[in-house]
Amino acid sequence: MIEVKKVNKSFTLFNQNNAKITVFKNLNFKVNPGEIVALKGPSGIGKSSILKMIYGSYIIDKGAIIINNKNIATLSAQEILKLRKTSIGYVSQFLKVIPRISALDVIMEPLLNSGDNKNNAYKKSIKLLKDLNIEKNLWHLSPLTFSGGEQQRINIARGFIKDLPYLLLDEPTASLDSRNRDIIINLIKAKSNRGVSIIGIFHDEYSRKKLNVREIDLNIETKH
Amino acid sequence: MIIPILKVTNLSKSYDNIVGCKNISMSLYPGEVLGIVGESGSGKTTLINCLSGNLEPDRGKIIFNINNKETDFLNISESEKRKFIRTDLAFVHQNPRDGLRLNVSAGGNIGEKLMSVGYRHYGNIRSLATKWMNKVEIDKSRIDDLPITFSGGMLQRLQIAKNLITSPNVIFMDEPTGGLDVSVQARVLDLIRSLVNELNLTVIIVSHDLAVIRLLADKMIVMKNGTVIESGLSDQVLEDPQQEYTQLLVSSVLNV
Repeated sequence: MIEVKKVNKSFTLFNQNNAKITVFKNLNFKVNPGEIVALKGPSGIGKSSILKMIYGSYIIDKGAIIINNKNIATLSAQEILKLRKTSIGYVSQFLKVIPRISALDVIMEPLLNSGDNKNNAYKKSIKLLKDLNIEKNLWHLSPLTFSGGEQQRINIARGFIKDLPYLLLDEPTASLDSRNRDIIINLIKAKSNRGVSIIGIFHDEYSRKKLNVREIDLNIETKH
Repeated sequence: MIIPILKVTNLSKSYDNIVGCKNISMSLYPGEVLGIVGESGSGKTTLINCLSGNLEPDRGKIIFNINNKETDFLNISESEKRKFIRTDLAFVHQNPRDGLRLNVSAGGNIGEKLMSVGYRHYGNIRSLATKWMNKVEIDKSRIDDLPITFSGGMLQRLQIAKNLITSPNVIFMDEPTGGLDVSVQARVLDLIRSLVNELNLTVIIVSHDLAVIRLLADKMIVMKNGTVIESGLSDQVLEDPQQEYTQLLVSSVLNV
């Protein structure tokens, strides 16, 4: 379960006359195992910020975010690194990789980093590449040369390759055509059926419906 | 409870009355990559020179803990220190010419390092050297060539091979991609990253290139005027910087 408790978040922009932007005050919600929660609200309301706070990329000003009985707000850097490795998958909006590394290696890396053997990691990654409908002649090329939709699928593959209990998805279906969108939706469903707690940002009504999400409307949650 | 492989407490070093670094405290855990960023003169190089034994700090504590053996780095005899630096630490210089002997063959450069930690059998040394040339993607036919015939990128890869061949426990890198062409940079970055993953290396890397830090480092510290002004997970410091200087640094990067 993921529990967001009385969380406050603001940004201070020192280089712009110390302008302070408050994103949330007293944000509360829970995500149960197997549940898919969709964060809803207009651009700039802080949907991605929530995912980043849960993942530890953004500081939590006040309140707590509890995962595996641990409070992200008070964990040390190495404790967060460990928690990410064992528990939290994160699919960012855009793929960030070192140039020259092949798509296959990008996907295998999280497995190899947690001690899986090469052969196993290879087999799992090939299967996922096939499931994701990535053509074979692309597997050994750097994904930086791919189209937006292909990059997004490699990004998803990297986040999905391990069996982790929590998944954070930042617009996983944004740049995909309808066929590939359905493929991703089915992968997300399969994760949820295995009990994974999922928080996502889905811009299209279609994905939200298909995934049978519980919506959290940040317009309402953050107005007090 | 995991014990840090390196724990630094209140480390300070001045040059006469100029501050090099001041009251630095930090911990590094096995398998972690720590990035150090900051402008020229902020104390990055002073700090890693102190940690790697190239400079004697004025005050503070440096404790290495390798395989449950604690080494109080600033309170051991000179000979113990030399031995520790030789066997447990490695230093990759920005300019590979500082870390290699240019009038000794490529294989000789690597072999020398092995001999310094006790290898004697010529056949073993040669085969290990060949294996490492291969690992850093230098054609093994170049083993008897002098490094002066190598390109900048090859020299850097040779320096990396020379440093890693003896399986050191903590590796210091000072701007390892600094003097290289952009295309060569990517290749060296890729190499460092894959070696870090494969060998589970513990690395401290100094760079002023935030993209390098983002792609390689798990954690980072930001230095200014000799002190650490901000530290944390690399993605956190880069995406949600809490200090004015760090915000300026992050927002000054040009995105292509």
